[in-house]
Amino acid sequence: MINQVVSSILAVYFFTMLLEIPKRYAIYASLVGGVNWWVYLVALEGLESSMMAAFFASLAVAILSQIFARVQKTPVTVFLVAGILPTVPGAAIYRCVYYFIHNDSAQCTYYLLQTIQIAGAIAMAIFITDSLFRMLQHYQNRKASIG
Amino acid sequence: MNEKLLMETVSLAGKIMLASGSEVYRVEETMKYMLLKSNYPVAEALVLATGLFVTLDDPNRETITITRRVPARSTNVNRICEVNEISRDFCSNQITVEEAYDKLLKIEKESIYSKRWKFLGIVGVSAFFAPIFGGTTMDVIGAGLVGVILALADCLVKKIKLNDFFTNAFCSFVVAVAATVIKKFFLPECSSDVMIISAIMSLVPGVAFTTSIRDTLNGDYSSGSARMLEAIVVALAVAAGVGLGLVSWDAFWRWIA
Repeated sequence: MINQVVSSILAVYFFTMLLEIPKRYAIYASLVGGVNWWVYLVALEGLESSMMAAFFASLAVAILSQIFARVQKTPVTVFLVAGILPTVPGAAIYRCVYYFIHNDSAQCTYYLLQTIQIAGAIAMAIFITDSLFRMLQHYQNRKASIG
Repeated sequence: MNEKLLMETVSLAGKIMLASGSEVYRVEETMKYMLLKSNYPVAEALVLATGLFVTLDDPNRETITITRRVPARSTNVNRICEVNEISRDFCSNQITVEEAYDKLLKIEKESIYSKRWKFLGIVGVSAFFAPIFGGTTMDVIGAGLVGVILALADCLVKKIKLNDFFTNAFCSFVVAVAATVIKKFFLPECSSDVMIISAIMSLVPGVAFTTSIRDTLNGDYSSGSARMLEAIVVALAVAAGVGLGLVSWDAFWRWIA
């Protein structure tokens, strides 16, 4: 497991060069990526569902990204885009279309479902965290304006 | 305030953010905040996946509308950060609209990683995604080699300026052939499936697909579906390239043997 986590940190670090993430944030972004894959592996062992594992992994990424973004005063996207990379369903999307071309409908449907489930779980986790932090900020602003 | 220049600035900011792969609601929000600086009663910004519209409206004055087409999108986080900073400075009156416009023009073409870093990035991504797909240490080396060839192919394709579909298809074709050749002649203990999948990770539209679902959840249905289609087209190009690579290598090998 430790090998996989380390390699996911390195993979995300190299990916920051392709996504043009500013160099001063690259290390934080890769750490978020490492946390993502670590939570994914732990959750996968306990829950035995890749969709739920992706959900909790992305939840961790989204919360961590929000915190980093507030500390570093930069948009959340910086850490979010890089952090979700290890679980993002890139391979599943490719396999789905690959089997579609090869006329293997059983495999194609399997990977199509997996793509939608995992992408949906990630999007949901980010959406929930985003809404939650917005609510928190709104509440803080209101408290500040009253007090 | 010079309303015309404000409009140019706002639409440029939106265009840069959209072309850099930002979520639609974030683009609209940034543009709306900047538009608050005008003294028009109605200010609207409408952003779609492939273009944007900005309007300033006042019953007593002439309406100003600007349309911008955004033909190509790729992820560039640095530009999103820069636009965010400029819009924040502008909204808090730290810089004038002229300064904001000049700064935006400057970052529109800016790139912080040189070609060499990009080359290294493709190789590194290819190598270190292998363990995530269950690869061994040998697979990391094999995938790294495939990554080098992919990066070379990428440089070549950028020189001859192919369109997006054929860029992705050609690169994945090269990946498939390279992985098969490396397995056959150099590193027989590698898995060609792992090598191919980790090498195409830098091409495959995982982030775009996830962003499309996030746009949809935020209520931006047209951008969400447009981005989803875009992701599917990219995946189609990649899968077609890999499929063609595997089939043609097979045919070539049978023809020789």
